[in-house]
Amino acid sequence: MPAAFLVVFLGVPLASLAAQIVSPDTISYFTDPLPWRVAGLATGQALLSTALALLLGLPMANILTRYRFPGRRWALALATVPFVLPTVVVALAFRALLGASLGSGLAIVVLAHAYLNLAVVVRIVGARWATIDPRFETAARTLRADRLTAFRTVTLPALAPAIASAAAIVFVFSFTSLGIVLLLGDANTRTLESLVLRQTSVLLDFQGAAISAAIQAAVVGSVLLWAARQRSAGGTLRGDHLIRPDGFARIVVGIVVALTLLIVLAPVAALVWSSLRSSSGWTLSWWSSVFGAQTIDAGSTRIGSPLAAMGRSLAYALLTGIVAAIVGGMAAVSVLSGRIGRAFALATALPLGISAATLGLGTLLAYGREPLDLRATGMLVPMAHALIAVPLVVAVATPTLRAADSRLVMVAASLGARPSRAWWTGYGPTLRTVMVAAGGLACAVSLGEFGAASFLARADGLTVPLVIARLLGRPGEASFGVAAVMAVILVVMTTALVAAVDKGGRRS
Amino acid sequence: MTHTGITVNDLLIGYGTPLHAAFTFSVLPGTVMAIVGPSGCGKSTLLSTLAGVTPALDGQITLDERDITTLPTHERRIAMVFQEPLLFPHLNVRDNVAYGQRRMGRSRVQARQEADRLLAWVGLEGLGERAVTELSGGQAQRVSLARALAAEPDALLLDEPFSALDAPLRSRLAHDVLAIVAKAHIPAIHVTHDPDEAATMAHGNPGGSILSM
Repeated sequence: MPAAFLVVFLGVPLASLAAQIVSPDTISYFTDPLPWRVAGLATGQALLSTALALLLGLPMANILTRYRFPGRRWALALATVPFVLPTVVVALAFRALLGASLGSGLAIVVLAHAYLNLAVVVRIVGARWATIDPRFETAARTLRADRLTAFRTVTLPALAPAIASAAAIVFVFSFTSLGIVLLLGDANTRTLESLVLRQTSVLLDFQGAAISAAIQAAVVGSVLLWAARQRSAGGTLRGDHLIRPDGFARIVVGIVVALTLLIVLAPVAALVWSSLRSSSGWTLSWWSSVFGAQTIDAGSTRIGSPLAAMGRSLAYALLTGIVAAIVGGMAAVSVLSGRIGRAFALATALPLGISAATLGLGTLLAYGREPLDLRATGMLVPMAHALIAVPLVVAVATPTLRAADSRLVMVAASLGARPSRAWWTGYGPTLRTVMVAAGGLACAVSLGEFGAASFLARADGLTVPLVIARLLGRPGEASFGVAAVMAVILVVMTTALVAAVDKGGRRS
Repeated sequence: MTHTGITVNDLLIGYGTPLHAAFTFSVLPGTVMAIVGPSGCGKSTLLSTLAGVTPALDGQITLDERDITTLPTHERRIAMVFQEPLLFPHLNVRDNVAYGQRRMGRSRVQARQEADRLLAWVGLEGLGERAVTELSGGQAQRVSLARALAAEPDALLLDEPFSALDAPLRSRLAHDVLAIVAKAHIPAIHVTHDPDEAATMAHGNPGGSILSM
């Protein structure tokens, strides 16, 4: 069943996309300078975003994962918050926080990307850093290396592969960014992803869009391949002790933790502030207009009722959660059973490397046009969301299942249980916990997803992120206030889901 | 510079509060002072204070008549060998040994030549190209010793360097260390929880001593 799911919802759309690319005018499309120019702009922007995310994230990774101080786990969890926030929410928060001073353009886009991806750096590099025994640096210092040299010559080589992976992931996310670029960018911060959306929905140039998507996939593929080749030199350094900061180190720890709190919370605080402020002071009118169930259409933009969008988003999220939990759980089970299973699990990870726009466009080409137009059924958005969420589900489920005690299966079998019963006794309870957790995670992904939904949702079937994006495109403080309210609600829902998943995962 | 060894006067060690009564002792060049005591009594803290990793609470440390009490670790010219070899995994055996030479500003070629000389000295000739993960426990600890000597230290600190090794290897390495200390004419402080090992190290060269904690 997971295989059928992949073929229908990934294979067919990608094949439709490929079919678009291969045609007699393909060459002329590839010589069109536009996608290449956009690729160049996106590369520059993504490099800046990556550099800034590393600059901010590396000191955080160092302090939050290596030093002992009260509230360390909280601070680490907090540093993960930006990553689970929906991109439109982050865009809105940065508009609220810095829009007045920075306007739209490269600076605010780069800042928002760095913010979103802080957790990638903190988690990936921090996980490695925490395993490096601090005595290696001490040994280097007794061999006449000053602190900086000891770090550069001993710790940095050990960290390099982790930094490379984190950098590659941040680069890919920034290079394929859609929501942030659409809502905070200008003509010079376009990405291929935003070009694909424009070519599809405004210019109706499907072949051009397919070629832009292909160029983007080639860049993303090369970067991920480069990252996969970065290997750790030599063996691993091991250490399991947190460092107790003293004197100067204590001051540095305090400063970095305070900055982490400030950086993570300032945009969220700006969001809450905007949902409660109007030009005449404090107000609850944006909140009451959201829950008043009236539509907020104005002029030519049709947006519909925010409450209906919330209901729709929740329904999509629920469906995504169920599908992703079933497909992902089955994929994770197949991982446990030999080589074919592993190859299959790798295939389920494929959507991770394919951008939302590519996925959205492919699905649109395959199932959104005659002869098979499924858009009216409302099924396309949750299907695309499930596809995006499945790799996450597999990634979450596999290690936990692997850690389950396989001896229980043998014990059950030796007590006379049928093979299927024995298997369930061994893995069942873990699988159930993992699938619930993974389903919750998939729900959270679906709630905030913007890219694929912007291709697949019909005008009368907008999700919350799409409504927020449309509201931001309209002038007036009411639009902004209502968008802020919806963003706050999204933040509460996604963080609650992720926290519940995290808690459930830890318990299992 | 006159080689007078390590002199410690009224040294208080600890993290905020003193771990032990004040220390006063001296260790002459070419001799070993063995420090013996149960685990947790502050032996390692004393070494890390001498090396400048942990700041001294009070008192004075001099090395060859230089007051090094507040100098940063890398300026003290005190090398340290730990319980585990702590060889840098991204460097091969030769470049591990050459590390201190490079920090002293020697060229790569010079540093590697010196590393090869020291590897031969500790009985590991020809192993320079090896990855450090391919060494046995005893070999790794010898490389660690060679690496410490390559930094041309004025004193050597040994923090239970033999505790992970088996008995025959221990006594061979103990003799090697004694010979190296005498030949390099530097003072050494050797920490152990084993009274026999302390006696071997302290009395192996003339003029050694034992400090019980």
